[in-house]
Amino acid sequence: MKRAILAALGFATSFAVPAVAEEEIKVGLLLPFSGVYASLGNEIETGFNLGLQQFGSETGATFEIAREDTEVKPPVALGKAKKLILQDQVDVMVGIVSSGVLGAVRDMVHGAGVPLIVANAGNDAATGGSCSPYITRMSFSNGQINRPMGTWMAEQGVKKVFTLAPDYAAGRQMIDAFTETFTAAGGEIVGQEFTPFQKTQDFGPYLAQAKASGADAVYVFYAGGEAISFVKQYDSFGLKADLPLYGSGFLTSPLYVNAQGEAAEGVITALHYAPTINSEANAAFVAAFTEETGRAPSEFAVQGYDAARALIEATKTGANDRASLATALRQVSFEGPRGQLSIDPATNNIIQPVYVYETVAGEGGLTQKVLAQLPAEADATNGCEMAPDSN
Amino acid sequence: MAHDLGFWTLQALNALQLSMLLFLLSIGLTVIFGLMHFVNLAHGSLYALGAYFAASLAAVGGYWMGFFLAPVAVAGVGILLYSGLIKRMRKSGPMAQVLVTFGLIFVLLDLTRIFWGDLALAIDVPTLLGGRLTFLGVEYPTYRLFIIVLGLAIFGALAFVLSRTQIGAMIRAGVDNDAMAACLGINVERLFFIVFCLGCALAGLAGAVAAPLLSVTPDMGLQILIPTLIVIVIGGLGSLKGAIAGSLIYGFVQTFGAVLAPQLASVLIYALLAAVLVIKPEGLFPAKG
Amino acid sequence: MFRHNTLRYTALVLLAAGALFQAFTAEYFGLEILTEILILAMLVLALDIVAGFGGMVSLCHGALMGVGAYAYAVLSTKAGIALPVAMAGSIALTGAAAWVIGAIGSRSHGIYFIMATLAFGQLAYSYVFEAPLFGGDDGLGGISRLDLSLIGVDLNNSRSFALFCLATLGAVYGASVLILRSGLGRSLTGVMHNEQRMRALGLTVWRVKADVFGLSGMIAGLAGALAAQHIMYISPGLLSWTVSGEALVVVILGGLGTLVGPVIGAAAFVVLKHELSSVTTYWHLVVGVILIAVVMSRANGIFGWIEARWGGVFDRRLADATRKQEPEEVLTDA
Repeated sequence: MKRAILAALGFATSFAVPAVAEEEIKVGLLLPFSGVYASLGNEIETGFNLGLQQFGSETGATFEIAREDTEVKPPVALGKAKKLILQDQVDVMVGIVSSGVLGAVRDMVHGAGVPLIVANAGNDAATGGSCSPYITRMSFSNGQINRPMGTWMAEQGVKKVFTLAPDYAAGRQMIDAFTETFTAAGGEIVGQEFTPFQKTQDFGPYLAQAKASGADAVYVFYAGGEAISFVKQYDSFGLKADLPLYGSGFLTSPLYVNAQGEAAEGVITALHYAPTINSEANAAFVAAFTEETGRAPSEFAVQGYDAARALIEATKTGANDRASLATALRQVSFEGPRGQLSIDPATNNIIQPVYVYETVAGEGGLTQKVLAQLPAEADATNGCEMAPDSN
Repeated sequence: MAHDLGFWTLQALNALQLSMLLFLLSIGLTVIFGLMHFVNLAHGSLYALGAYFAASLAAVGGYWMGFFLAPVAVAGVGILLYSGLIKRMRKSGPMAQVLVTFGLIFVLLDLTRIFWGDLALAIDVPTLLGGRLTFLGVEYPTYRLFIIVLGLAIFGALAFVLSRTQIGAMIRAGVDNDAMAACLGINVERLFFIVFCLGCALAGLAGAVAAPLLSVTPDMGLQILIPTLIVIVIGGLGSLKGAIAGSLIYGFVQTFGAVLAPQLASVLIYALLAAVLVIKPEGLFPAKG
Repeated sequence: MFRHNTLRYTALVLLAAGALFQAFTAEYFGLEILTEILILAMLVLALDIVAGFGGMVSLCHGALMGVGAYAYAVLSTKAGIALPVAMAGSIALTGAAAWVIGAIGSRSHGIYFIMATLAFGQLAYSYVFEAPLFGGDDGLGGISRLDLSLIGVDLNNSRSFALFCLATLGAVYGASVLILRSGLGRSLTGVMHNEQRMRALGLTVWRVKADVFGLSGMIAGLAGALAAQHIMYISPGLLSWTVSGEALVVVILGGLGTLVGPVIGAAAFVVLKHELSSVTTYWHLVVGVILIAVVMSRANGIFGWIEARWGGVFDRRLADATRKQEPEEVLTDA
């Protein structure tokens, strides 16, 4: 028995990979493939692989991918990140869905000097107070996608708003960013509730409060299973007619909007991507993704796709190791499905337009009608002091 | 914020709706325990299976097909579990039973992921139950009223069966003293089997009923398990009265806690549970004195 | 009462030798796995003391470990208390919490006790998850390891930390044996076998249960403080009831009431988990099936099976020892 365990241990440690060829970039893909965000992890990976296929021919580099499951547990993710960095000796890491996981791996990544392309986690602090020259975010920040919506809604004549979001860091950041610009534009927040995160299945009690609050509209952030339940319950209480529902676009993500069905019709949300954005780059992406999976891509897919594109753009400059990739990644800029993207040199956060869209009935189920494209804005530095660049 | 009577009526209905959903789940679990002294941690997974079966069946034959057939399908799974595992575990202690059913949670969770994938599913409310009704002066979703009525009807039916019919008398005898009941000529093994299947069917029904209200995700079984256990521990293991009382307490504490003390909403129910355990370790209405 | 015999000694020596071999030869990830095993082994020793020798099947030991981890993290990073004091404080605090749970639960038996401990574990989980001081769902980072530079050891080195955990596990094992051989430990086993009789003999039963549960909690707290230092990052998931469930699984997998068995179980479980999760994301399915098979087999885990099969070769007395520890006898007092 003892020997068997030792043998197994030895086996587990013998994965150390031989030195790679010069032009081969070793990529560590760190995503949740099990747990509550498994569907997001799969979506990002699909987008990432598609990006490598589409643009891989533009660079001389080849990519070897080591993929690890974070299980959405920060300690597990940190262990996997250490494995990728210290044992597999990856040149660059891509992924991270939850902000908790990003917070856990941040110091390790920064200390080891391994570039990390964040493909989802939106925690403001990651490109704020705890920013790092090695962490480049190709997804979004929580504040970035909610701030323009506050001003926009006030401009549309909405005066009083009731807000709802899950009680955790991302929920609070999204709502705070919205509140800030909405009140600055003359709007009033008449009520604000934060529901126990991942423990609320029945939103009835909160919906009754929203109804009694005297608001003109409700602004929420929910994602995944909670978003499905919320939108359906909002509709079942008949609130949509008197109290239009607005939110951050994860509420009606193409990934699960069809599970919400008719209940999602008429919901207006803002996000950095919608599959119906009218551009050549987006049309090509949507066509490729639909061919691969049989459905329209979500914002998570485009984040993976653009992460791959950013990596390829970086290698085109000749970058091939940790230090040079980190520098090159901070300077990527290209026109993607989301429009013109660039990286803010002050924070390493992406700068991108934000789209306001309404979920409407279309031919093959629900689709997104883009109402407005709000201009790209860089986040405030939020205390980010980037170490001076080496070049 | 001052609220009017309508607001509180609405919240009371919300609480009642949540209570009834939990009642459908806890009654099966608690009666199985009362009769067989068996705690099935995988009960929540059966609920999730019920929701998935209902979602698949509804896609083929509409909501009502899921509503009626999902409980049957889950009872079928129950038969497999009973003859494969549970029957052999009957004489083992509580730890062995807890662990086998703990293992079963993970097996069933991953099986649902393999068969149905990680993406959330959903079913629509049937047209018959769509929209809203005015009830006690407030407008309330018909489907939620349907859940309340269904829960109360099943409570009534079970209370009738347990107190007025021969099989009810047999179950009560079995709960009191199964060895004695067996001596009196009651086929206790068959009784166990019937009750276990019925409990599974009710869990499946709860899943089918909850599916249009919530989203159908692989971890929904794990999410509902802890509330269900709280209900039966507060109410007292093994009794119908305990299950309904526990469900109502949980539903009302959770709903009104969310309104009146939102910061404490999730800790409140555990504090109450701890208090019950200190004062009455066997729950409020235990099956046996 | 807990007795060593030739087989158990042999197993201990082999385990220690294997761990040392691994600690000196493994690469980075091998050391991580070793440390994970050592910390889990402490937790399951704590659980085996109460479950295997006191019949108190706890579903809150994962939460207790989490309490230890959070106490260490908060005391050291937020309150700025010196690391050794923070460590002692986290152990004492977890012990006190466990003592209270043990005292309240002392009146419950069988499944009621399991449910009561589950409730207290979930209470702690919910509180930590909600409280802003603890970082909520995002967890807490920036946790430092003990500074042993005075004796020339740098714990930030993986190898040193693994050896440090190995030494601590050795001490925990010794302490567990001492607890079980003390008057308290003997009373506990007496209570497990016949609570009425022990009460009639004038024993304050609830005190015995609470005291042992408290001591077990201190070990769990120590494991937690080390886990926080190992990962240097903690999140509420550490307190989830499924962690407690997994700890029970490990005890059963190794052999309930044998002390040596759970340590073997910890090694087997961690290695299995890592091997399976690198092959499939459905590894829980395999673990679930193995667990069901082990419990259904009615052998007392890996070590119980070894003892039943080969124990006699080593030691005649063992035949009695194993018979006394048949799980069925222990567990049907519900």
